[in-house]
Amino acid sequence: MNSAQCGLLAVMLLTIVGAPGQAQAPGSKGNSSPPAQTQESQRALRTREFLGLGRQPDPELASDGQKIFGPTCGFCHGADGRGGQGPDLLRSSVVLDDDKGELIGPVIQNGRPNKGMPAFSSLTEEKVRAIAEFLHMQVELAANRGTYQVQNIVTGNAQAGEAYFKGEGKCTTCHSVSGDLAHIGSKLTPADLQAAELYPDTRGNEFGGTQRPRQVSVTLADGKKFTGSLKHLDDFYVSLEDAQGEYHSIAIAKGVKVVVEDKLVFHRQMLDKYSDKQIHDLTAYLVTLK
Amino acid sequence: MKSRALMLVLSLLVLLQGASVAQLLDPHKLLEAEPTDTWPTYNGDYSGRRFSPLTQIHSSNVSALALAWMYRVKVSGPMRGVSAPVIKSTPLMVKGILYFTVPDRVFAVDARTGRELWHYEWADKGGHLVGNRGVGMYGDWLYFLAPDGWFISLEARSGKERWRKKVADEKMQYFTTMAPMVVGHHIMVGVGGDAIDVPGYLEARDPETGELQWRWNTEPREGEPGSETWPNQAAMEHGGGMTWLPGTYDKDLNLLYWGTGNPNSVMAGQGRKGANLWTCAIVALNPDTGKLVWYFQGSPHDTHDWDNVETPVLFDATLDGKPRKLLAQAARNGYFFVLDRTDGKNILSQPFVPLNWSKGVDAKGQPIPDESKEPTVDGSFLTENWGGGTNWMPPSFSPRTGLFYVNATLGYSLVYLTDTKERPEGYGGFGRPLWSQHVLEAIDYRTGNVKWSHAYTTADGMPEGLGGPGVLTTAGNLLFTGDYNGNLIAFNAIDGDILWHFPALHSLSNGPETYMLDGQQYLVAGAGDTLYVFRLAPRRP
Repeated sequence: MNSAQCGLLAVMLLTIVGAPGQAQAPGSKGNSSPPAQTQESQRALRTREFLGLGRQPDPELASDGQKIFGPTCGFCHGADGRGGQGPDLLRSSVVLDDDKGELIGPVIQNGRPNKGMPAFSSLTEEKVRAIAEFLHMQVELAANRGTYQVQNIVTGNAQAGEAYFKGEGKCTTCHSVSGDLAHIGSKLTPADLQAAELYPDTRGNEFGGTQRPRQVSVTLADGKKFTGSLKHLDDFYVSLEDAQGEYHSIAIAKGVKVVVEDKLVFHRQMLDKYSDKQIHDLTAYLVTLK
Repeated sequence: MKSRALMLVLSLLVLLQGASVAQLLDPHKLLEAEPTDTWPTYNGDYSGRRFSPLTQIHSSNVSALALAWMYRVKVSGPMRGVSAPVIKSTPLMVKGILYFTVPDRVFAVDARTGRELWHYEWADKGGHLVGNRGVGMYGDWLYFLAPDGWFISLEARSGKERWRKKVADEKMQYFTTMAPMVVGHHIMVGVGGDAIDVPGYLEARDPETGELQWRWNTEPREGEPGSETWPNQAAMEHGGGMTWLPGTYDKDLNLLYWGTGNPNSVMAGQGRKGANLWTCAIVALNPDTGKLVWYFQGSPHDTHDWDNVETPVLFDATLDGKPRKLLAQAARNGYFFVLDRTDGKNILSQPFVPLNWSKGVDAKGQPIPDESKEPTVDGSFLTENWGGGTNWMPPSFSPRTGLFYVNATLGYSLVYLTDTKERPEGYGGFGRPLWSQHVLEAIDYRTGNVKWSHAYTTADGMPEGLGGPGVLTTAGNLLFTGDYNGNLIAFNAIDGDILWHFPALHSLSNGPETYMLDGQQYLVAGAGDTLYVFRLAPRRP
């Protein structure tokens, strides 16, 4: 890799830094950008719609319900309703067919004496409704994978990460913590940082890949050459926009040579070399670059 | 006795009446190997090879292949949770009519002109609209699965509904997408679903009435054989092992071969230590009783959402001088398996893409998962594409070349655990794709080695939705498939040279098919919402 390529790589990384939302992992918490919250709830909504789950549960009511469910029902059904001595309620058709307590309510109030469940007839209608909402929220949090939150991924050793960055990882060949990577730890979430350290262009990410202009040069059989930013490429055609803003679409016939600038070749070569520990250490180091 | 005699007379009358008008599809047609005037079942025949002996279109004239007609699916209103209808079904072609589906819709189209004859519309009350693989056909009747667990029979001539039966509960997050598979007097119906942890099953239903004939559970019940591969009953009830792709069938052995999906909770394996039978397995069942005859588990204790449902492809070959009945599968976990289909004994297990989740194979040829590559809270790094080495899209086996063809994906990914509880529920984690590359591979079943491959050239290969290009091979030395840039492509099946391509509006999203009609060989491909039909350009005087 020559220095010009390294420069391009730095530009590339900065482009990603400029658009953190694009590299958002499912469930990752956008601690630096408020719009990520909206994106997150949109993802939850989209996933709910796709899965054909019911309405969105009310978090406040569910939280009220949790306070009643724990001491009243948790002994048998587990504090989270996932079952214990009593059945798992997240996969109960009474719960899944219920909307606002109309099916769950009678079971709570009348019990199931033949199955050893006592009646809780003293619970008010409001309390029963809150318990039902708590259970719907538990179903939501398990079934709707659009709500999943990535947990603490910063488990590595930052010092070891720094050593890897400067040594075996050869990151300093192209990157500098005071240059292109300055403040990277406050620009990206740890999860985004972890993905970006492995491969900055998360192509194929169902939540949106990064678009970037790539330089391409096309040489025809007669030696005529076109260069510019790549618009499209497949096995049959390549198209580009040259420096004058002219669009060219060229059939890839015999003798036509297409060379696409590859800024990430070193990242790809490294993909076969990482251990999980090195990845976690590197993440731990990069998040310290606030 | 009297009523029984009456019944006999009645059935005879029904039979005679039926005989007066020829059936659209004689059920015996399904037993034919490689039919050329009909495409009577999802894979074209029971072998799952998707190989046609037709040669009118061949490697020397395929460049003259021209569009005969197109049919674009129009649906009223948005399709819930998906942007647009995508044809993942392989149309049946019977007596000049194509029958195919998208979720909630069945279409009958004139195979000569592309004119719609009728369509059937279903208003779902749930289930996933992720795809629908098509219809099954028995006599004059079609069978269709609506996304919300309804098994529906239609009159093929009119599209009129005969009856419907509930086969799965969408409130429990089951969904139904497969093409019902007709075997003898049974209609096989499988299910999908893994948002809420529910057990899987495969059912056989009566073609006349839709009533249940048998149900095979993909997990044992307490105390049954296989239950020792689960820690407890609760884990076993979380199940998984969905049966969402059509299987294959050997009429001589009378064995039905089926792939099963991943166990639940999908990515959080801590609540289900053990191999988790019969999830992520290939099973051989008796189609008349639903009894398990043998199994081979492709992914013991899967934690990567790598369903083992990919088509179990059947062919015969001579190995070490002995004629063998084989079954081959390119599994989503990245392994290529060859089994003896009489008893399920392993012959070959070899990765067809690089992978690091497995430490090799055990004495039975089953991969041994590396525990350290299960999803973790802080991310576990896989040297395999997050979606797997391949997916549901149909592969092909050509007896002419002896090669198994599959659209594979190379890649790298990170897998995260989000549910760390002792009793996880739901997916319990997610994967994050990094770099990936789509590659067509031609695998030699004798060695597992890739004889040739074609890495599709692309600038930024964003796969469209969850579709994927299937493969068809023919005796004309051809392989038909598509890339992820909207090109339908014909390769030379022997060496992988590209011989023809057609730029479609969307990427190929089903398995292409071929048949003869009026003395002409046709090629049919579904790409996005449009069906494209080709034949050789007519010669002009």
